[in-house]
Amino acid sequence: MLDRCGGLDFELIALQYAIDALSVGGLYALAALGIGLIFGIMRLVNFAHGDFLMMGCYAMFLLAAAIWPLTILGGVLIAILVALITERVAFRPLRSADPTILLAASFAVSFFLQNFVLMIMGGRALGVDIVPALNQHIAWESLSISVLNLFTIALSIILMGGLSLFLTRTRIGIHMRAASEDVRMARMLGVRVNLVVAAAFAISGLLAGAAAIVILGKTGLVLPTMGLRLTLVAFVAVIIGGMGSLTGAVIGGYAVGVLEVVLGGLLPLAILPYREALIFTVVLLFLLFRPGGIVRVAALKERV
Amino acid sequence: MKLFMPLITALVLALGAAGFANKAQADEDPIVIGAAIALSGFVAPYDDGPLKGLQLAVADINAKGGVMGHQLKVVTADTKSDPAQGTNAAIEVLEQGAEMVMVTCDFDFGAAAGLQATAAGKVTFSSCAGDPKFGVQGIGPLAYTMSLGTPAQAATLAEWAYKEKGWRKVYVQMNSMVEYFKSLCSNFKIRWEELGGEIVGEDVYNFMEVKTFEGQVTRMKQNTDKDFVFLCAATFDGPSLIKQVRNAGENTPILASESMDGNFWLEAVPNLSEFYLTVYGSMFGNDPNPRINDYVTKYTEMHGQAPFTAHSMTGYSLMEAWALAAERAGSFDSDAIRQELDKFDNEDLLVGPTSYTPDLHINLYRGMQIMEVQNGKHAPITRYTAEKVPPITF
Repeated sequence: MLDRCGGLDFELIALQYAIDALSVGGLYALAALGIGLIFGIMRLVNFAHGDFLMMGCYAMFLLAAAIWPLTILGGVLIAILVALITERVAFRPLRSADPTILLAASFAVSFFLQNFVLMIMGGRALGVDIVPALNQHIAWESLSISVLNLFTIALSIILMGGLSLFLTRTRIGIHMRAASEDVRMARMLGVRVNLVVAAAFAISGLLAGAAAIVILGKTGLVLPTMGLRLTLVAFVAVIIGGMGSLTGAVIGGYAVGVLEVVLGGLLPLAILPYREALIFTVVLLFLLFRPGGIVRVAALKERV
Repeated sequence: MKLFMPLITALVLALGAAGFANKAQADEDPIVIGAAIALSGFVAPYDDGPLKGLQLAVADINAKGGVMGHQLKVVTADTKSDPAQGTNAAIEVLEQGAEMVMVTCDFDFGAAAGLQATAAGKVTFSSCAGDPKFGVQGIGPLAYTMSLGTPAQAATLAEWAYKEKGWRKVYVQMNSMVEYFKSLCSNFKIRWEELGGEIVGEDVYNFMEVKTFEGQVTRMKQNTDKDFVFLCAATFDGPSLIKQVRNAGENTPILASESMDGNFWLEAVPNLSEFYLTVYGSMFGNDPNPRINDYVTKYTEMHGQAPFTAHSMTGYSLMEAWALAAERAGSFDSDAIRQELDKFDNEDLLVGPTSYTPDLHINLYRGMQIMEVQNGKHAPITRYTAEKVPPITF
């Protein structure tokens, strides 16, 4: 076979990897934000976060016949709805419980959601193409950049910017930050905790829905267990970034994305199967030497 | 509540009596075929087809008068996709009088049920476990699999790519999470290099999940030397990788095995082209073998939908095989049936010519249908049999 492009030069390869890393990192940052936001307010490590995403994906799968804006909107709304219902049914009654009980409850929710979908939709991976335009790629020099990667980078930046504005400029956003500093004090000062927590879950559902668009665009498959890995990765990102800090969650998400892409691109074959293990090793090192993560949060110290 | 209790008691008694009556009847006349498989959980999609194939075979056999005048009847028990639950599921079907037991389409998930059923002295088939361990060496002399052995699948793919396609340089992508994939890829590489082919690149990933493959795809794209990509993956991860490869503008041919069978995932990669795979038969009504097309038609009539994958054919054929062996033995004695099965020499079954020996209870030289996918449509190319299969290890 003829050599079609005579090998890529170094700068272009580096650029390609950079786009990959930003795109994967953006996806992870979105997921980590969803987990980090809830942790900040409730001290709940929400292992069901990936299942909000999974529910959104299945909704998009079922709505795939509609025009794509409707498909996407439906998926995101379902993710938000599932998040809100979960908060009301599973987590609100346990609000004052020990964080370990909350953690166990989130496992129960995750298990329930996965088996619910498994029962109704079956365990077969089903293919779906939600936004055909995202399958395109842009040829530039000898590079081909997937539209989806550019979309992911843009979407994550927009959502992060939006969240940051929401937390600093809106009344409920400011209440949310107050609650994450100290729930009891915030309540005494007139913050309606139920509303704030519900809003946080709605936002985490929105972030899961956005991640669902990206993950479905990238993988084209729905599977009841599809949220599992993203939850794990997001959890890792939150630990690296710093539990309780949203900036930390974003940094952590990008760090894991960069790590994954760089390791996947550069590791010699013999070590490649251990790529995931290497990422988790980084987490272990953080837990051992800098348990607070990259961004340490003052509010957490007295609680631990 | 008090009012309801007598009613409930009556209902329970009635159901129990009905169950007892059924069992008593089963002991007398129909021969019970047990399926101790995953009816629920994550393995269920892989066992669903073989069970439906088995049910169709039973209907066909019964329509022709049964086996030695005895009608057949299928009973099932659920392993819940848990390898440890296999034992219970096997006990459940054995207690209902199963004379032959079908277990899950995989060594790891079918072994426990297989051990239990063979220990009870019953001939046990895995529908499509590709690991040669599912037989004399790994389970016992009464255990068989209807699959084409993984080394043979790998050799079929390698020889077809080398000889018929004229490809010489391969890039191997493997998911190391599943034994079948590891065995498929390693045997492919052995046969490929034996043929004189070159391995110009390799990549491994290790996750049983839907995942993103960015770094991997970029790494693969840098390799401009390859003629094709060999993929050891299944439908829970393979389509995502293929989608990301195609989305990145890489149109190199991709070759995969029967674990990528089916068109239910094709929506993931709209208008997929240059994708090749081996299957037991085409489930799209266009197989060169009219018997397979008949099978698809009858299956669709019976179950209301066409088979998702051709793995269902292995369920059909194991029933054919057992019935044939029982007729020849003139008895339902497991040992007599085993002796007849071990004499199988290119028996004409739905999945293809099938042979067993007292030592080898898996097939290695049976053709597989090569399919191509162009513009999102499956079309058969040829039925191909490997000439030389790498030595199997148990």
